[in-house]
Amino acid sequence: MTAVIQTKNLSKWYGNVLGLSDVSLEVEQGVTGLLGPNGAGKSTFLKLITGQIKPSIGHVAIQGQDVWNNYPLFGRIGFCPEQDAFYDEMTGWEFMTSLLSLYSFSRADVQSRAEKALDFVELDKDKDRLIRGYSRGMRQRLKLAQAVAHDPEIIILDEPLNGLDPLSKRKVIRLIKDYKEAGKTVIVSSHVLPEIEALTRTIILLHQGKILARGDIHYIRDLIDKHPHMISVKCSDPRRLASSLVGEPSVLNIQFGPGPDTVVFETQDRDKFFGLIPRLIVDHRIDVEEITSPDDNLQAVFDYLVGK
Amino acid sequence: MVISEQGYVHWQGTFVERRFPWWPITRLGIRLAFKRKFFKFVFSISLLPAVMFSTGVYISERLDDFQFMLKGPDRLLEVNPVFFKSYFTSEPLLFLMVMIMVLAGAGLICDDLKYNSLQLYFSRPLRKRDYVLGKMATVFFFLLILTLVPGLLFVLLKLIFAGSFKFLANYPWIPVSVIAFSLLVTLFFAFYTLLVSSLSKNRRYVSILLFLIYIFSNVFFGIFYSIFHNPYFCLLSIQCDIQQVGAAFFRQSPQYDVPWIYSFLVLAAICCLSAFVLKRKIRGVEVVK
Repeated sequence: MTAVIQTKNLSKWYGNVLGLSDVSLEVEQGVTGLLGPNGAGKSTFLKLITGQIKPSIGHVAIQGQDVWNNYPLFGRIGFCPEQDAFYDEMTGWEFMTSLLSLYSFSRADVQSRAEKALDFVELDKDKDRLIRGYSRGMRQRLKLAQAVAHDPEIIILDEPLNGLDPLSKRKVIRLIKDYKEAGKTVIVSSHVLPEIEALTRTIILLHQGKILARGDIHYIRDLIDKHPHMISVKCSDPRRLASSLVGEPSVLNIQFGPGPDTVVFETQDRDKFFGLIPRLIVDHRIDVEEITSPDDNLQAVFDYLVGK
Repeated sequence: MVISEQGYVHWQGTFVERRFPWWPITRLGIRLAFKRKFFKFVFSISLLPAVMFSTGVYISERLDDFQFMLKGPDRLLEVNPVFFKSYFTSEPLLFLMVMIMVLAGAGLICDDLKYNSLQLYFSRPLRKRDYVLGKMATVFFFLLILTLVPGLLFVLLKLIFAGSFKFLANYPWIPVSVIAFSLLVTLFFAFYTLLVSSLSKNRRYVSILLFLIYIFSNVFFGIFYSIFHNPYFCLLSIQCDIQQVGAAFFRQSPQYDVPWIYSFLVLAAICCLSAFVLKRKIRGVEVVK
């Protein structure tokens, strides 16, 4: 499959601050997840590939064409920024039509596209309200609407699920998958692993401006499995639960705390551990308030990868 | 790898560029300005000098009918280069132009900086020069209504009321001066407004700055002039610089004994400074966390 987006030795400095360092990659059609903690360089990377900032070194090409200063190319890209970018005193409708009028659409086309996009993100009923009165989720959906209203081939979404309620999140995820089915190229950035997991298996991991890992999302999962998983259980009798698990070979370590009703297990085999827990809880009649995995997040994966 | 239902289709069409890509930016600026109630009031007031001078043109051709009102100073109502210079360099008009800039121009760039809108603009097929042009055109729209339109209207009214082309025969250069000076003063104010607007994300702060720079440049000139009695201090005042250049454009002797070209250079320097600052300030949002 041909690469839609290509970067070669892409680097960006903000004065002495390194934004992105020597990133060479190819992004193909479909959904690609860009993962990284805050400050990893995700937004910088997205702004570089949308031609908003000039690379310090290297270059970006979309469909073989250099992006920097290639204004006609921008008509094929839809960009949803992370931060809010609205005039509060405008209505949703005015916002959409004013941005669509920057393309070569006729007046009627601008209006029909704005209508369609607002309908798509279910803001059609609120289109005449001032953006000032929109909730965080509505603003997020409006940002998404402006990114897709001109029917771009390449859609760049910077943290599009931030601030959305579960229903809206589901809708946006469905929407992104629809674009994938339509043969478009979508890049979605996020620092929340499950969000990306729900969207795609192809990911790029960024850390401190560098690519840490690329490929299938299960690679990351496997990586977690090579390290003991931490599972915290908050229950009525943590010591009893611990004593019943102390002889289990998959349990490597048991720690009490941080609270008096919490016990933290370290296990090599998470699936087996989760298979044991329900039976023990029932057998010993222990009331369980909460089971969490403190290291089952992106930050923990990064920590493992960078060898912290 | 998931196989998509529809393969990737390379875009084969030709991108049609807008003829005036800056126009949507201008239209938005005008629309947002008229959304402010106080702006509508000030803009209406700012048209009063043009209405008064238009009345003056009419009266100048009907002096006999209005003798009972004039009782002597009919010379003031003569439509000649002095009349045009008086209109274009009058303190009330310049002050109202600054007020228009405060209300309609202060937010032009500062609101985009505040609301992070630049990243939305520049991820679209819009060049930075088109963006700046669009913002400038907003200023041009308002200021040319106060300068060029009335200026040409005075000429037209004079010809209509006089019923002859004698005025044009006497002063054939007047329409050219009207156009040139209107464009010059509007261009200066456009650069001045965008320069100050790009300095902050707070519209209120920009509004105050726009107003204070204009007023205090005049105040400082007054202070230094009264101490040192040196007319060259008029170069410190934006208002005096415009008046000096205006006098030259309408072939009148300048108010202060300073070559008008110096004032012109001061205004040009401010425009250059503005262009330099705009080039640095208007760019894709840079992310440093």
